[in-house]
Amino acid sequence: MTTASLQDNPLLEGLEVRRAPDPCILVIFGASGDLTKRKLFPALYSLAFRRLLPENFAVVGAARSEETDEDFKERMKEAVQENARDDFRDDVWELLADGMRYVPLDFADEQGEDDLARTLTELDQQRGTRGNRVYYLATPPVVFPTVVQAVGKRRAAEGWTRLIIEKPFGHDLASARELQQVIEKYFDEKEVFRIDHYLGKETVQNMLALRFANGIFEPIWNRQFIDHVQITVAETLGIEARADYYERAGAVRDIFQNHLLQLVAITAMEPPIDFTADSVRNEKVKVLRAMHTPGPKSVVRGQYGRGYIEGEEVPAYREEAGVDPQSMTETYVSAKLYVDNWRWADTPFYIRTGKRLARRETTIAIQFKRAPHPPFEELSAERLRPNVLLVHVQPDEGVSLAIGVKVPGQGMTIRTVHMDFLYGGAFRTGLPEAYERLILDAMLGDATLFTRIDEVEEQWSLVDAIVAAWARDRPAFPNYPAGTWGPTGADELMERDGRSWRRR
Amino acid sequence: MAPEVSSTAALASIREIEREVAMLRMAPGSDVPYQRTSVMTHTAWVPPEWVEAAEDVLAGLAERHPSRTIVLVPEPGAQDGLEGEVEVDVFPAGEGREICTETIRIQLRGNRASAPASVVEPLFLPDLPVFLRWRGVPDFGGAAFESMLGVVDRLIVDSTEWPDLRASYAQLVGVFERVAVSDIAWARTSRWRRQLASLWPGIADVKKIRVTGTAAQAELLAGWLRSRLERPVELEHEEADRLVAVDIDGEQAPFPPGDPPQPADLLSEQLDRFERDRIYEEAVRSAATARPE
Repeated sequence: MTTASLQDNPLLEGLEVRRAPDPCILVIFGASGDLTKRKLFPALYSLAFRRLLPENFAVVGAARSEETDEDFKERMKEAVQENARDDFRDDVWELLADGMRYVPLDFADEQGEDDLARTLTELDQQRGTRGNRVYYLATPPVVFPTVVQAVGKRRAAEGWTRLIIEKPFGHDLASARELQQVIEKYFDEKEVFRIDHYLGKETVQNMLALRFANGIFEPIWNRQFIDHVQITVAETLGIEARADYYERAGAVRDIFQNHLLQLVAITAMEPPIDFTADSVRNEKVKVLRAMHTPGPKSVVRGQYGRGYIEGEEVPAYREEAGVDPQSMTETYVSAKLYVDNWRWADTPFYIRTGKRLARRETTIAIQFKRAPHPPFEELSAERLRPNVLLVHVQPDEGVSLAIGVKVPGQGMTIRTVHMDFLYGGAFRTGLPEAYERLILDAMLGDATLFTRIDEVEEQWSLVDAIVAAWARDRPAFPNYPAGTWGPTGADELMERDGRSWRRR
Repeated sequence: MAPEVSSTAALASIREIEREVAMLRMAPGSDVPYQRTSVMTHTAWVPPEWVEAAEDVLAGLAERHPSRTIVLVPEPGAQDGLEGEVEVDVFPAGEGREICTETIRIQLRGNRASAPASVVEPLFLPDLPVFLRWRGVPDFGGAAFESMLGVVDRLIVDSTEWPDLRASYAQLVGVFERVAVSDIAWARTSRWRRQLASLWPGIADVKKIRVTGTAAQAELLAGWLRSRLERPVELEHEEADRLVAVDIDGEQAPFPPGDPPQPADLLSEQLDRFERDRIYEEAVRSAATARPE
């Protein structure tokens, strides 16, 4: 519904006008891949389940494998049954399946492109999708430029076109800029939606709500009251079947460059003037620009050796299928970063990510400064633990605040307790998957939760500087056993500052 | 189905009720209470004839809106006294954690039924909004209703339950300046209102509507059109237990897409609203002042 019609039509006043996307076709390149099966189709099904998709809608899967429409539908049906968060309903599936097509194509193949163009034109006629397109690039990154060119050259004459690009956007700053140059030939920045799926997570967005919808936090959200920030993205999984990709990416490109730096940006950003795409992204990019490159002593990398996960012995990284037995790829990275601005000067942000760590968790911990002078005789200031505001991104989505309270009885014994807010406890409707929100936002043209090119460039600049320093030494990998919290160097990084990593 | 624990004895005072709630919140065999994450206190005024229907709705609600629910059953004809019981429902909250919601049922006997606020106020969860679902026609101006209006943030009624609609709407108008009001009958028309709005601008000059549904839905839809379009709209009503058709000047409006919401969904939706619904208020004013057919 347009703003004009809302103003003209008095009957709309007071009615909750759901943001409805225009009719469109979603084209998924890389439709035979794992992402399409595990995330994209389950997300589309959940959107259909809640009637959030446009009435005139179609999905076209495109990939190299030969498949018929019916094969594709059957495979995606199984994927939805296996991975969707909602109950499987035939009527909902039929709604989606009715507009599903599959086009086999090699990405630099004129014939395939012709087939795709013909299919899209037919769908426009059959389903009234008016030439509107969302192209989702879920292919290996090496194919991105080819697909962008193919799509760009054949843009529909009518309707709008949007491009969703999966991470990683480039391998370093130079390759990101090369890819951007290809994109810029055909697309405006407003048409490009670079996915960092962490931004689609409710709990990440809740960080913005926590900070900017609560009067109590923002006045103390600065160097005066906050001792330091710890951000952890820890996985217990290894590299699964992604050796080829991971060997080239490593933890720094896989998680650090995107998810971790975005979490830092959201934690440290100034309040945006509104929640529009550019206002939010302007503030995030200021944080990324204010981060100075950490020195070699402020970055620790690691690679897991053999160890135990959930009681089961797991192989070392170098023993994983497809991994070079002498690989120097890092599976762990931690760093101490500073955001050099008025709010955060001298306040360290300790961030870490790794594979095969002790527990799966993504958390943002804001550790406040200790109470300056506890007036209790029996209690030294050291025994009083600092307050910590902990945002659980996953699992246990929610927020908790660690506070000191008196233990009942004689004397004054203080103990730290947690006040917990669990999302699942207060809102029992089920959290939407990040991809649901992001696909819908892209259809609506809302880029707030997508990364802009200047953010990507800042992220790569930082990572390039870190990686350049690594070229000068050769650490003794592996340097942490699977199932632990990473290399000892990471602990030493904190200990040098008189701090320690959070353990639960 | 959530496991539940209930009080075994009838509780005769607020203090006993509070003690029982605290005791039932302790997980069996543990000295740690179940976690409680509350978003509101939900109070329901349920005369005995409405108890069965109210319990059905509450059963569908507890899991969606973790809160303290206080069900007040007035029995003004009985001997003075109150009798309470407490039920704690425990729900899994992922990663082996459990959270609980509490339902407190209190029978208000004799004079206790005329000062219910003094009974429920000590039981409200501090600093959270209080919703009051009033079953049947409120006793506008009566002691019990007035007492409750003074302590709640939002009144939820279902005017489908009211026999004399226009008179009751006229009295409801007097409540608008004191507390925010939701009407489940109004919520049931929302799909149709959206549908009728989509007929703009063709609907701008409507002269007459024919509504097949409950009387409350018909009155509210007509009131809405009159107030929004600022023009007289004649109403013809055909009784049905739910809203199934709306004709605009003799032409049937298309049926709205989607399934009609369930009673628990409708109440649940109202429990998410905090602000006044001025469009509803204007529709009620218009319905209250409409000339009889």
